[in-house]
Amino acid sequence: MINPVFMIAIPLGLAFISLIFKKASKWILVAGVTINVVMLFLLEWGSVAMGGFRIPYGIQLMLSSYSFTGLAVVNIMFFVILLISFDKVEKNSVVLLTALAGMNGMILTMDLFNLFVFMEITAISAYILSMKGKKPEHSFNYLVLGSIGGVIFLLGTIIFYAQTGTLNMAIISSPVQQSAFDFSSATLFIPFFLIFAGMAVEAKLIPFGGWVKGVYGNADRLTGPLFSSVYAAAILFAMGRVFGELFVLNETIVIIVVITGLITFAFGEAAAFRQTKMRRILLFSSIGQSGLAVIMLALGFYFPAVLLIVNNALSKFIMFTITGKLQESYGTENYKELKGAFYKNKMTGVAFSIAALSMAGLPLFFGFYAKLNVLTALFGGGNWFIPAVILIFAIVEGAYFIRLLISLWAPGKEGEYADAKHAVETRKLFKPISVAIIFMLSLVILAAGLFPDFAGKTITSGAKAPFTMSQLKGGE
Amino acid sequence: MNLTIILAVTLVLAAASFFITRYNKMSGGFTTVLSSLFALVALFMMRGSIGEDFSIFYFNFSITTVGWYFSVVMLIAYSMTSFFNPFWMEKMMYPGSYNFLYLLSMAGTIGMFFAKDFITLFIFWETVVWSSTFIIQLGKSRKASYIYYVVSAIGSMGTLFAIMLAYSVSGTFVISEAFAGLSGGVAIAVFFTFILSGLAKIGIFPFHVWLPEAHGSAPHTFSPVLSGGLVKMGAFIAFLSVTAFPAYDIFADMFKIMGKPFPIYFLMFLGAISIIVGTLMAIKQEDAKRLLAYSSVANGGYILIGILMMDQVGFAGGMMHLINHAVASAAAFLAIAAVAYRTGTTKMSEMGGMIHRMPVTYLVYLIAIISMAGIPPMGGFVSKWLIFQGLAKDGMLFLAAAAFFGSIGSFMYVFRPLSAVFLGQTFTRDLKKKEVGFFMMFPMIILTLLSLLTGVFPNIFLRVIAEIQTSVGIDPITLANRTILTSNGYLDAFRVFIVFGFGFAIAFVLFVVRRKSRKVELMDTFTSAEFIHTRELLHYSSKFYAPFERLYDKAPDTLTAYKKLAVKVGELGGMVESLFYGHKPEKTVFWMMAVGIIVILIGGVV
Repeated sequence: MINPVFMIAIPLGLAFISLIFKKASKWILVAGVTINVVMLFLLEWGSVAMGGFRIPYGIQLMLSSYSFTGLAVVNIMFFVILLISFDKVEKNSVVLLTALAGMNGMILTMDLFNLFVFMEITAISAYILSMKGKKPEHSFNYLVLGSIGGVIFLLGTIIFYAQTGTLNMAIISSPVQQSAFDFSSATLFIPFFLIFAGMAVEAKLIPFGGWVKGVYGNADRLTGPLFSSVYAAAILFAMGRVFGELFVLNETIVIIVVITGLITFAFGEAAAFRQTKMRRILLFSSIGQSGLAVIMLALGFYFPAVLLIVNNALSKFIMFTITGKLQESYGTENYKELKGAFYKNKMTGVAFSIAALSMAGLPLFFGFYAKLNVLTALFGGGNWFIPAVILIFAIVEGAYFIRLLISLWAPGKEGEYADAKHAVETRKLFKPISVAIIFMLSLVILAAGLFPDFAGKTITSGAKAPFTMSQLKGGE
Repeated sequence: MNLTIILAVTLVLAAASFFITRYNKMSGGFTTVLSSLFALVALFMMRGSIGEDFSIFYFNFSITTVGWYFSVVMLIAYSMTSFFNPFWMEKMMYPGSYNFLYLLSMAGTIGMFFAKDFITLFIFWETVVWSSTFIIQLGKSRKASYIYYVVSAIGSMGTLFAIMLAYSVSGTFVISEAFAGLSGGVAIAVFFTFILSGLAKIGIFPFHVWLPEAHGSAPHTFSPVLSGGLVKMGAFIAFLSVTAFPAYDIFADMFKIMGKPFPIYFLMFLGAISIIVGTLMAIKQEDAKRLLAYSSVANGGYILIGILMMDQVGFAGGMMHLINHAVASAAAFLAIAAVAYRTGTTKMSEMGGMIHRMPVTYLVYLIAIISMAGIPPMGGFVSKWLIFQGLAKDGMLFLAAAAFFGSIGSFMYVFRPLSAVFLGQTFTRDLKKKEVGFFMMFPMIILTLLSLLTGVFPNIFLRVIAEIQTSVGIDPITLANRTILTSNGYLDAFRVFIVFGFGFAIAFVLFVVRRKSRKVELMDTFTSAEFIHTRELLHYSSKFYAPFERLYDKAPDTLTAYKKLAVKVGELGGMVESLFYGHKPEKTVFWMMAVGIIVILIGGVV
């Protein structure tokens, strides 16, 4: 049984080692990621107190079923992305290993300041990776906004520490911490808001995430899926932790978060509707999904939120990878110029279609199961306004995904049958092995959609509320 | 014969047809024929298992009479149309996918009608929607596919909202119990959102915009399924909205118009508008398939009005119109498809005189439109008569006027393709064309015979409908032997047929005995010494109803409203982009500060 801290330590250590052995850096990267994925299943569950300090006086790492799901998504998707887009790594092995360490840390940690540190590590690696898009302006924008976000988060943490005397998030289950401060105080919402705002920058929420269009819009076949699947999952799982441990103590902040999430969802989908460039469609869809997941996390509906995050991770990986490849082979990402691109690349097309239909929430796919759970959770809580907004903008979401698919599959003049002669010239996309991997992942989406109970059970064990001590006491 | 087996076989054959098509396209097409015929026969034989409940995985099914009825109607459309599939494989860009999606959507419809809970129903429903979306795009218009999906999605999301809202009150998704305990504003919200998918699918105004696009531009072998089959899915939702959701009970205290509670009357009013809009727009069309699509809009209005009446006669008329319209519409679309197969076009001004070359197709089309126009001795007459009886009995003046107008208008528009395509002079290009092969004639003949059967012996079908009526708690329609009895009179369809047959026989004898007319070529005409070159201008059915059309030439187009709405959504997106996204950090920092200040100022109060 391995201590979970190694999930952070090994990639971080290997990152430094690969600085020394520059020639072997790519292989060290592969080794690091593979070791992490394997270790995932050998970890010791429960709480780990770093440095022997008694909880809550030191930094605490928590491997509960919730953080396990987060780790699984992050590490496994990282591994798959690396498999497919290994050629795109170039000189970024150090940064990638650091990113992996940072993200694992974000999910595992129970300490606010520690969370800040890992968020900064992750963010800095993201700034560097975003430079692969060769748009320094956008990367700089990301750098500035991310740094401001980090500083605001830190400010919130400091105020929280000053008010309450603790940095450990496990307040609800800790009588020691509760004795220090009256946690039902309404003034708590100020540090909470600052903490939320700091995380919201990375979580792409409107209006905090102004950097997304530039960074995701120029992401390539490696960074695109990495940002939209792995980074997104990491920050959302971390936010879920913060919401579940801290924000439940204060009603005001929950309302603020839900409103932000709802606006993000609605505006994100509307913005996606008018795009013609595929990466932009996907990035605004990611923004929308982020908003939706935030609403669920804030209201305490962890199971639907995790379903959304997993669905988003799988689908966006497939779609960003294929879009990146289309951009490379055809030089364009405008779907109007890529008519019939899937005509000769049918398996790639089917994988893309499954991912897109799952995002649109159509049945037989995993996204529908996620949508159902979102709706039953919301209506079960007596809420009808939020579902109404969600469903209205789901129409918009379905519309632009279907429009995209129609263009990529069926070229033709209006008034004539769809005909291959109007398709773009056939260019080679993926190597067969990559196609197989991507296709198999899309089959996972299909299988999870057809047998949702099985998928649900696998995730439920990972998505119980992120409450900490109660899990230790009750066992999982 | 078990539903599980039917669904399993269909899905296996769907996958098989995809692979078979890659080796031999026609064989792939034949697989769809086999699969749909098997499903039709198997479902028909399931009559005996009515009343059974069972589950497959997490789907729950309940075999009901109404489910059996709907699914048989649907499968008649699917199976007869499938005969055309093998001959259209060459035209399809993705023949394998077409066959696969054809059978997948068929499986979806089968599962849907027997669903016991709403989640099962919704899953099968949406499967049909997306699989048919990807078939329509293979036809003449990509935009049509998109419009179809969007309008469908509006309906589906409404229904999903209603299902969930009802669930939050009743705690269950089971169809027969899901709507318990609803009252007041919640009941109205559930009712109107629930029936949205029904309205969208049937094509009731203002959701009718997708029909001319989709039916008109879909591949020729799928339009009959769309019009004859998939539209009936919407009718099923309409049926559920007055039976599972006990609309008459829940709204019993509401403001009533002509004895019908206001929400129900409002929907019937929309149905009447659809009849008028569909009829008027059909008269204007130049393309045979778009014309038939608008006629589907009009007939959908009849079906909706009939079902919503929930009484002895009108409801039976609405339900019977389901099968009549399905059969007639499928036959008409198939006939046009057959002509398109030979001539390559569906534009009426480019065709003529096909009766000489394709007499059987002509006959099929003729009988189909006689049924659609509601003329005896075809089935359409019986169902329309029943609907008229129901409307007249309740004194619903406006609706009855709309229904009568629809009938009269339908004479106008159904005759147009007949005269344009089949009658008149044959174009030189078509002089050597032959009738379609037996394999394609077979389904058309079967559908024609069905049309006749529903018209001559309607009681066969009305007995099933009477069972459905009893199962939902309304008085069943009174049938006696071959007669239908209503409070305003009675109809013995067989006698009507005898009288018509008699008249037909006399006319036929006269025709044979008398001198034949002299054939005059189209261009052999007096033109005051001008030369004539273009046959099209002399085609006597081009601009047929021009004076009538001029009356409503400037009428606004509903599709434009949708397009404007889409533009508005895009503009909202544009606003979001310009407000929140850009190269420079200043914008976002401004927003962060603004949000922060607002939150800190008023957050304490919230």
